[in-house]
Amino acid sequence: MFSVFSKKLCTSCASFLLIGSFSASASVNAQNPVDTLTLQKELQEISVNGKNQRQLRSAMPTQLVTTHEIEKLNAANVADIAKHFAGVTIKDYGGIGGLKTISVRGLGAAHTGVSYDGLLMSDIQSGQIDLSQFCVENISSVSLDNGQPMHLLQSARSFASSSVLALQTKLPEYDSAHTFTGRLGIKAGSFGLINPSILLEKYFSPRWAVSFNSIGTKVTGNYPYAININPYGVNIAKGIRKNTDVTSLISEINSIYHMGTMEQLSFKINNYYCDRGLPGSVTIYNDNDGTSRMTDNNWLSQLHYENKKSSVWQYLASAKFNSQSMHFTEINNNYSSLPDKKRVESYRQNEYYLSSTVQYRPVSSLTLALAVDSWHNNLLTVSNMNYKEDPQPTRQTLLANFSAKYVNERFTAGGNLLFTGTHETSDSTFAAPDRKKLSPTAYVSWQATEDDNLILRAFYKEIFRLPTFTELYYHDLGYKYLLPETTHQFNLGVTYHTNKLPFISYLSVTADAYYNRISDKITIVYGMPFSSVRNIGLVGIKGCDLNFSATKNMNKNSDFQLNANYTFQLAQDKQKNTDTYNDIIPYTPVHSGSASLTYRYKSFDAGYNMVFAGKRYSGQNADIFNYLTPYVDQSIFAGYSLKSFKFQAELLNIADVNYAIIQYYPMPGRHFRLTVNYKF
Amino acid sequence: MNTKRLFGYLLAIVSIIPFLSSCDDKKEIENVEISTGVYVLNAGKLNNNNSTITYYDFASGFATTDVFAQKNGRILGDTGEDIIQYGSKIYIAVYQSSLIEVVDPKTMTSIKSISMKDAQGNATKPRTLTCANGKVYIVLYSGSVAQMDTTTYAIDKTIAVGANPDKSVIANNKLYVANTGGMATVKDSTISVINLSTFTEEKKIKVNLNPSGDINADSQGDVYVQSNGNYGDIPGKFQRIEAGTDKVTDIAVGVKGFTVYNDKAYIYNFDYDASWQATNKKIIVYDLKNEKVDNESLVSSTIEKTPYSIDVNPVTGDIYLGVTDYSSLGKVYCFGNNGTEKFTFTAGLNPAKFLFMISK
Repeated sequence: MFSVFSKKLCTSCASFLLIGSFSASASVNAQNPVDTLTLQKELQEISVNGKNQRQLRSAMPTQLVTTHEIEKLNAANVADIAKHFAGVTIKDYGGIGGLKTISVRGLGAAHTGVSYDGLLMSDIQSGQIDLSQFCVENISSVSLDNGQPMHLLQSARSFASSSVLALQTKLPEYDSAHTFTGRLGIKAGSFGLINPSILLEKYFSPRWAVSFNSIGTKVTGNYPYAININPYGVNIAKGIRKNTDVTSLISEINSIYHMGTMEQLSFKINNYYCDRGLPGSVTIYNDNDGTSRMTDNNWLSQLHYENKKSSVWQYLASAKFNSQSMHFTEINNNYSSLPDKKRVESYRQNEYYLSSTVQYRPVSSLTLALAVDSWHNNLLTVSNMNYKEDPQPTRQTLLANFSAKYVNERFTAGGNLLFTGTHETSDSTFAAPDRKKLSPTAYVSWQATEDDNLILRAFYKEIFRLPTFTELYYHDLGYKYLLPETTHQFNLGVTYHTNKLPFISYLSVTADAYYNRISDKITIVYGMPFSSVRNIGLVGIKGCDLNFSATKNMNKNSDFQLNANYTFQLAQDKQKNTDTYNDIIPYTPVHSGSASLTYRYKSFDAGYNMVFAGKRYSGQNADIFNYLTPYVDQSIFAGYSLKSFKFQAELLNIADVNYAIIQYYPMPGRHFRLTVNYKF
Repeated sequence: MNTKRLFGYLLAIVSIIPFLSSCDDKKEIENVEISTGVYVLNAGKLNNNNSTITYYDFASGFATTDVFAQKNGRILGDTGEDIIQYGSKIYIAVYQSSLIEVVDPKTMTSIKSISMKDAQGNATKPRTLTCANGKVYIVLYSGSVAQMDTTTYAIDKTIAVGANPDKSVIANNKLYVANTGGMATVKDSTISVINLSTFTEEKKIKVNLNPSGDINADSQGDVYVQSNGNYGDIPGKFQRIEAGTDKVTDIAVGVKGFTVYNDKAYIYNFDYDASWQATNKKIIVYDLKNEKVDNESLVSSTIEKTPYSIDVNPVTGDIYLGVTDYSSLGKVYCFGNNGTEKFTFTAGLNPAKFLFMISK
């Protein structure tokens, strides 16, 4: 019964420039979709050092990759990028069509906010965002902010997750000589992958630009796998994934209008259409058990106004509408009593969202901000199996956030207090009760040395996630009295960088130790004849994230870049008086990490990427049936730019390692991709 | 130190981390010899390919957690639902793997694996097994019952029943199959009665909604059905289908699962508390001949986790209760017929069925 739900289930980086160059104004916001042309221009020439400045000076840990690095990560989707951040666990059900979600520091995917050009994405039904719905080709930066993004001029909702994965799209770039530009691209690869893309950008005047981009994906995806079916030895069962085809089209229009240098209006409309087969998990001895399909059709539109004309008072206002439709069918002999043996479920959810923020800076060292967001969600369900009246739940949410930050030359301290209020209605007898909650965050950072080489930082954040509509209202499973699931995060870290080493041009290291707690964890409690959901879990996560980055500039034509991350985390069940006390939480490896090494020589570049995870268990009891073997997934690429053309060849999972991130959802073995892009 | 070497070292350090953390979780084969004891079929969890068979040896008191995989060098499959012995063979229904596994009782080695498919090659999903007259009757969740020959393993005939049939029992030379409609638009509420001489459906008997619980018969041919209702306004029931008249009568006893031994129903029941944890766990003995409760609560010792399955050793009358928390290894309690706890042993995830190996 959970099948549908288990399957269903980009940042201008100018702010670090400012932060890097004059720390007293670190609160100046530029991390939103509509930066000024000047900053946008500077962004294109951003150095590695500038990027690191933001990562190193932030009181709450943040990790960032921008266009040029994204191109070198062998990334087919946003999840492939996020894998390279410390502290991240990606759940990947395999293949192009497999659900991909991000969990940060053991807290679970529902606690990670995913923002797209400054506004948070939502899925009121499942609570988690599928990272395969974004187009990598059109993303200019991806950042992961533990806690929340550091600037104050942002929506209240940006403060409402345990961490935020912020995606920022590319902006049209004004050039008076070329007011019409674009890119055509095609990617092809193993398992029948064809991936054409187009980007068109037009400046109608120096003030007004419109861009259009679209990417289509067609893949059969039938990749081979091998699974050992002998827990006491080796007995390999080989097979080919079936029903893995994907046809998708992502289309987006962006428009930006500059009313003045520091005042602008931007608009976005995005459609995501995806029709895919759901291969499901591998069932040993049975590879012909019906076919499931899912069709998504999501619309997203955002309107965004920002005014930063004054350094004292600044404003931000946004409106968003999004509508997500999901149609699920499964043909299976189990549905012999249904027409065509076909189970049909359709879901449609809408969100209407308004946000407004005002920031006040009475003196240069002190910034205050107030943000108020309000939005409305609803969910409609149609199903032909075990029919029950659709409860048609709705939720009205109000957020108000007050934040303050004090910054002087060596010291930063700040915090915020977030109020959340919700009201729900339902067509069934009654809806979930109203919730009101206050959530605090506080952070400090201190520059320990005269220059900014060594910085100490700390933060505390308490936040929660509300139960999803599935958890509250789904058939017999849902439970209306669920409390929010609360997280507490404590972080203590140090950052260091230098360019004074004899053999490395630039080196930076960050190390953060953290302790997280999840209380009132929302857990499915199995039972007979049916299961339910309750707040019964308590989880404690001790961990540390290490990030290492080094650059070696050989000469102006060539350089090496190395990035490495390592995460140690012990996510344990802390519910006392149970058999599972201190057991490791499923799917959280104790050791995990990634590394990437790239080399550039003139217009040629090449690189190596790897991601690894230690042993994991799919359930709480550590036994051979739950055991997932450690893996190292290694990929390489080579790219060459010739005039307006850029060629790239990628070889993925070069060691042809058979592994799974989710048990019995095998990942593809060795495969390749070839890309050609033409810019005009 | 040159740069390349430095990068080389760094890479080597990073690359080694996963190997430091990995360890070999493979288990040793225990080389158990099967004598008199009990096989426990552990269903495992759907889509986890972790159904197992535990063998508990009466003489040594030792439980081997996964005797099938140990003896066969491969896993049993996904969601074992039923295990029976007929003559010199054991038959196991593996639901999600859509497989009938035929096994030698003395060695637990596979004799034959039969994939259950329809004419188009799609899985038909076996749920429960019964046997009579040299045939094994396989209830298929896809909506039919197959008759399999025990020498050729050929499916002689398949007949349609109701939606999503599940539990089954033979009484009065008839096969009673509970149609649950678990994956239908509306749940079913009928018992299909199949004449075994002709292997045709004689009739459908209407019972309470959703007869997805246990079904058993007594020596008089009365059939007892446990239904689960709609988990809302229609409650579950425990009902008797009278032999001969097919009259359906409610029995006012709360039942989560039961077995029949010597014309007594051994029932486990429990309630869910506010945290959805099982409370008031008890074993009730109900006298089927005299139609009265023999014992409200047979067992005084504390029962851990959630009761999941019950059976009685036909020789000793000992009661076996399987319990689960649905996520980790299960446990089996053995109580004497008077309710005193004799021993316990660890079983696999979701211990669902018992098969007693009485003679060597």
